[in-house]
This record gives sequence, structure tokens and C-alpha cells, in this order.
Amino acid sequence: MCNGGVTSGQQRTEDGSRPDGSRPDGSGPDGPDSRLRLGRVGKAVRILVALAGIGLLINGSVRATDDVWPFGPMSQYAGAVADDASITYTRISAQTDAGTTVDVPLNIEGAGVARAEIEARTGEIVADPSLLQSVADGWARKHPDQPKYVKLELIRDTTTLVKGRVEGPPKAEVLATWQVRR
Amino acid sequence: MSAAATRTQRALNWFTPAIALARIAWLRTILYLFVILDMHAFVRDTRLKGEHPGLYQPLFLARLFDLPKPSVANTTTLYVVLIVACLVASTNRLPRLAGWIVAPAFTWWVLIGMSDGKVDHDHLALVVALWVLPTVAPRTKGRNWKWRREVSPYADQTRSEAAGWAIKCVQISVIATYFLSAVAKLRGSGWTLAWPGSAILTWAIVRRPHPVGEWLLHHPWMLHVMQWVGIIGEFLSPVILWLKGRWQLLGALFFIGFHLANTAILLIHFLPTVVCWLAFAPMERIVPWFKQRWGPNSSDSPNSSSSSAGDAGEAEDQAEEGRQAKEQAGA
Repeated sequence: MCNGGVTSGQQRTEDGSRPDGSRPDGSGPDGPDSRLRLGRVGKAVRILVALAGIGLLINGSVRATDDVWPFGPMSQYAGAVADDASITYTRISAQTDAGTTVDVPLNIEGAGVARAEIEARTGEIVADPSLLQSVADGWARKHPDQPKYVKLELIRDTTTLVKGRVEGPPKAEVLATWQVRR
Repeated sequence: MSAAATRTQRALNWFTPAIALARIAWLRTILYLFVILDMHAFVRDTRLKGEHPGLYQPLFLARLFDLPKPSVANTTTLYVVLIVACLVASTNRLPRLAGWIVAPAFTWWVLIGMSDGKVDHDHLALVVALWVLPTVAPRTKGRNWKWRREVSPYADQTRSEAAGWAIKCVQISVIATYFLSAVAKLRGSGWTLAWPGSAILTWAIVRRPHPVGEWLLHHPWMLHVMQWVGIIGEFLSPVILWLKGRWQLLGALFFIGFHLANTAILLIHFLPTVVCWLAFAPMERIVPWFKQRWGPNSSDSPNSSSSSAGDAGEAEDQAEEGRQAKEQAGA
């Protein structure tokens, strides 16, 4: 595999000889040089690939969306939040067959789905609450010995900032309800 | 050659510094093992998505290559192939074959993991590293199929432009992660500088409540200071690509501190990016350093398998190796 033809600029490895010894590159003295140099084509291809990658990244940051991962914008926490903003926090509340009401642990170990995934698809879940079935199924499968969910509510908590500060507890609003199928 | 042509040549050479192959060997071992960790600790829901593809929403690359919807069969296969290929590649045996398997397989793995409406931004450098590492050929004397190598890959001080290019690509990707975050922050506030003075960290903490963050909620000015330090650091990050030695180390430590702060406040660790900072570290000096430490009789030590065939002049060579390594440290 050492000489696999994936890149056209193969390194010449025999005895560390220079593949194009006639070409001085200005960065080292002539004479014995143990560097493995790239051939002209190999070097050109590599530089073009690097420049293309940088171009794709800039394009992603300036105008694309997360859809073009890994070349999308680095938009984690990149929004500006106003001093009087309303901060929403989405959670799922469950009634269990033991008669209790609990917040569904929204992570892989809990119901097998992350909070961010639920938040990203809130609109779809509101339009089609049956998507919540997979949350109940995930919980039941991962925790067979625990009370099952019988009813799920998608709830949005809203905290409103006053002059950039949190004041008071959040307001809860039920967005979708799903009676779990067995 | 005209002055302009020389300048262009020099600018292009910046992409292909000659760096010792040993650094590639260390990176292979660390990053391929990290991928296994990543599959279990970070992007760990890919197989789960195979079981429940209900929320699957293919990203652009998945649509472009018409990748199949995740299923139990294909995600399990992907898992097994990745584990085996990563284990092989991490030993620096068949590193190119195994590496060319890991690169597309892990890209697909992460692509599935992020195909549910939420995309993380901490995998750029790692994914780029996996695609560039297999382009570097390990040194062999001609066609050598002997299992036991003459020079341990971890000790190989042969400087290679192919290795330098791969390392430069990883370094650029690490830095791009920060610099482009700053760009995204400008874009996110309508191409203004509103971000650092906004309540973004307050927002983030309310949504990821935990004790350190909640204490900071009472001191919004501290959050604003952090926001300014963060965005200025991110904007200046490309400077690190041109810093050398200690100054570069300081730059790296700044960003590692940045991640520690993020972890403390928001539980966001960015480890897949952090591990790629090692592309800046002159790891090719590890073996020479150990040899120097354990004296000139190193050929009798367990390290002997890692010394080259012509060991006689080794002690004298070390000063030269050290000097070369120093030059490369800034590369």
C-alpha cells in the first residue's frame, strides 16, 4: 500500500534521494539533503486541495448553512441576544404508568434523543405529535424496569430577560401532546 | 526568477514545510485511537439512528453521494469496519490502506450522527486530519515487505514535504474553527459587532443550567468580558500559524484555557478540536528525548527496536536531530 496511487505526487523514498534534484527551492542549501520532497505535480495538487478547502470554508461561513457540514458556518452560539430577549428552553414532560409526572431525560442514555434534536424539530413535532412516540419507545427500551410513559407533553419554558438579567422563574407552554401507543 | 515569482513560490512553499515523519506516526496513533473514543463518547448515537431513522434528515453530502438511510445493518457494519481500521492504523501498520478506510467511514459516521437537525462544529479538524494522514507514505527502503521495520515510525526523523502538507492542513483546520467562529458571530448579528456586548452567554447558561454558570448569571459584566476575550482571541487566532516555539505554545495554551472555561460554564468541551492541537506539537522529539535521557546504551534498552540500523554514530547525530526538531517546532 505504500505506493498506492491515490495521489499523483508520490514521495520518492529510495535512500531519501530527491526526485527532482535539479530544482533548487531556496529553503535549503544544495548538497546532501535528506528531505523527501514532493514532485511538481504532487505539490501542485496538494496546494490546490488546500486552497479549495479554504475556499469552501469561507463560502460556508459567509453564505451557507449547517447543511453543508463540514464546510458550514461555525455558528455555535453565534447569535446576538438582546437585553430584553425571551429565552426558550424546550423539554418533554411525561406522565408514567406509575402515576408520576417527570421530565424526560433528553440525552442518549435517557430516551435516546438529545434536547437539541427535539428543539431543532419542534415545528415538525407540533405538526405531527406522533413523532414523540419514538421518545417513549426509546425510554421503554433503555429502561425496561422503570415506569413506562403513557402521555408526553412537549413544553416550552420561556425566560424573559430584563436589562440583560434573569428575573423570575420561566413561563411554561404546552406545544404538543401525545398519548403513547403500546 | 523575478521577485514576484520568488514571493509566490515562497508563499506556496508555506503549505509544504518539511516535517519529520515521526510527527505523522504519533498523530496517527493518537487520532485513530481518539476516533474510537469519539464513537463512544461524542458522536455516539449513529447506531441508535440506524435503529430509529425516524428523525433522519440527510445533510448535503449524504444527498450528494446518495448515501443510504441509516439502518441497523449499515451502521453496525460501519461501526465494526471503523473499529478494526482504526486499531490497525493506530499501530502505523498499513497506515495508508487503513487510513483510506477510516476517512470516508468516519465522515459518514459523523454525517449520520449530525443528520437530525443539529450539527456540531467541533469535528472539522479531526475529519480533515483523517483525510490528509493517508496521503503520507511511511518510509520504506524500496519495496520492503518485511514486518519488522528498520526505523520505528515514531523515531523517523526523515523530513518530508508530504508530511508537512498534511500537518499544515490540520493546523489550518484547527485555526479555521476559531477564526470562522468569529466570522459566524459577525454574520449572526447581521454583520455587526453586537455579539460581544449581547446577552448570548446568559442565554446559553439559561438553556444549559449548571452551578458555575448559574453563579455567573448574577454577574453579567463577567460574561461580557468573557465574550470580548473570546471573540478577539478568535479573530487573532490565525497569527498562531506564523508564531514559533514558545509563542506558539502560548497561543495554544490560550485556546486550551478557552475550552476549559467553556467546559466549566457550558459543559461544551470541543475535545475533537483540542486533540488536533497536537499537530502543532513537535512530537518527533519524543523518541530522541527519551534516547538522550536513557543514555548512549540505548541500543540495549527496550527502545532498540526503534533505533535505526546504523546506530554507531547516534550520539553525535542527536545534536543535529535536536536542531532540526527545533526548526520544525515552529512549522
